[in-house]
Amino acid sequence: MAKYYDIDDILADEELVPAVFLEAVNGVGLLQSNETNRIEPRSKVELPFWLASELHLRQAASVNVPPCYNKKTREEIGADGAHVDLRSRCSYFYQLGCKIVQLIGDKTIGSLLLVAFQIRYKEVLIKAHTSASILGPKFLSLLTKEETKLYDAAKSSTAAFKSWRMGGPRFQKASVLGRKRKPIGE
Amino acid sequence: MYGRKASQLLKEFVSGEPGQLTGFNNDVFAQVIEECDGNILHLQALLRKMQEEGSNNQTNKNADHFGALVHHLSLVRNKRCLMAYVYNRAEVIQNLGWTIKHADLPAAVKEKLSISENEYFGKHSSNLQSYMLDLNLDLAVDMVPPKDPYIKVRVLEEIGEVLLSDQIANLAMHSILFLKRIDAESFISQGKMEELTS
Repeated sequence: MAKYYDIDDILADEELVPAVFLEAVNGVGLLQSNETNRIEPRSKVELPFWLASELHLRQAASVNVPPCYNKKTREEIGADGAHVDLRSRCSYFYQLGCKIVQLIGDKTIGSLLLVAFQIRYKEVLIKAHTSASILGPKFLSLLTKEETKLYDAAKSSTAAFKSWRMGGPRFQKASVLGRKRKPIGE
Repeated sequence: MYGRKASQLLKEFVSGEPGQLTGFNNDVFAQVIEECDGNILHLQALLRKMQEEGSNNQTNKNADHFGALVHHLSLVRNKRCLMAYVYNRAEVIQNLGWTIKHADLPAAVKEKLSISENEYFGKHSSNLQSYMLDLNLDLAVDMVPPKDPYIKVRVLEEIGEVLLSDQIANLAMHSILFLKRIDAESFISQGKMEELTS
């Protein structure tokens, strides 16, 4: 429960995973198509992870491995991990991966995550420390949420190092006021 | 899909820059609570039906049982999302208390807070003030370790005649002054002055 208020943890739980119902369920409007609000056994659905995992634990549904960890993605990461667009597949690639492993115990996902992270981590740090901001946007759109955080952290540490060399910290305006623009005509 | 609205609320919160507040989203917040009400109605209806049928939900796991389970899980999920939204905003608001005094909270920030958040901020910062008064020490100054007791500042907004710790100064707009750090610090954090590097 340490992560109860952790927004990233909550949003990672919102990612959709494919699941198959093993039991019939009454009175839920999960599927828009049917009018009886009843879900039959063996119906395939995409459920958010928070729901799918609980149903999986109670044997009401069974969770399958999401498509972002399939063979195609594995091959792409094996070929050139740093330039695979992971964000469009799953914006919480690593966090969701860790949760899925705990749930279904597919051992191969662990090594996939590790390989992907090792290759991409290096690339993220190099880009963050050196590249001009013009290069940024195109590369940034490939990163997952976790990697974007790393990128920002690396960028800010470079900036902090530079400002330290230029002559120490200075007073700053409170950051909430920072975005304020002067009203026109003043 | 259940829980979708609540996660949108959180997405909106994280899409802002860290440490910045977006307006309290009353609309979506109310919609999530409405969704919860719907969940409760369904949940109660299913439970009643199960009771009437006399089935024990420990032993007999039928379709109604799992329907109730889905609604229960949705409720728990929505609760977590709403709690996280309020909690994370409250953390930002607490940090405001260290940089801005309550009376000086600009209208642009004030209107982003909900009524209870405004109250929370007021109480938190007045607690902070009274604690500092007890200690007889202003904890909000010298957030950056000083090198020199005096700094050079430029005034960005008309402030007028002010009694500082060592002098009475006329803080007119655009004037450049040499002030004690402790006097200048609160003005800088409010954006009324800027520090000049020599």
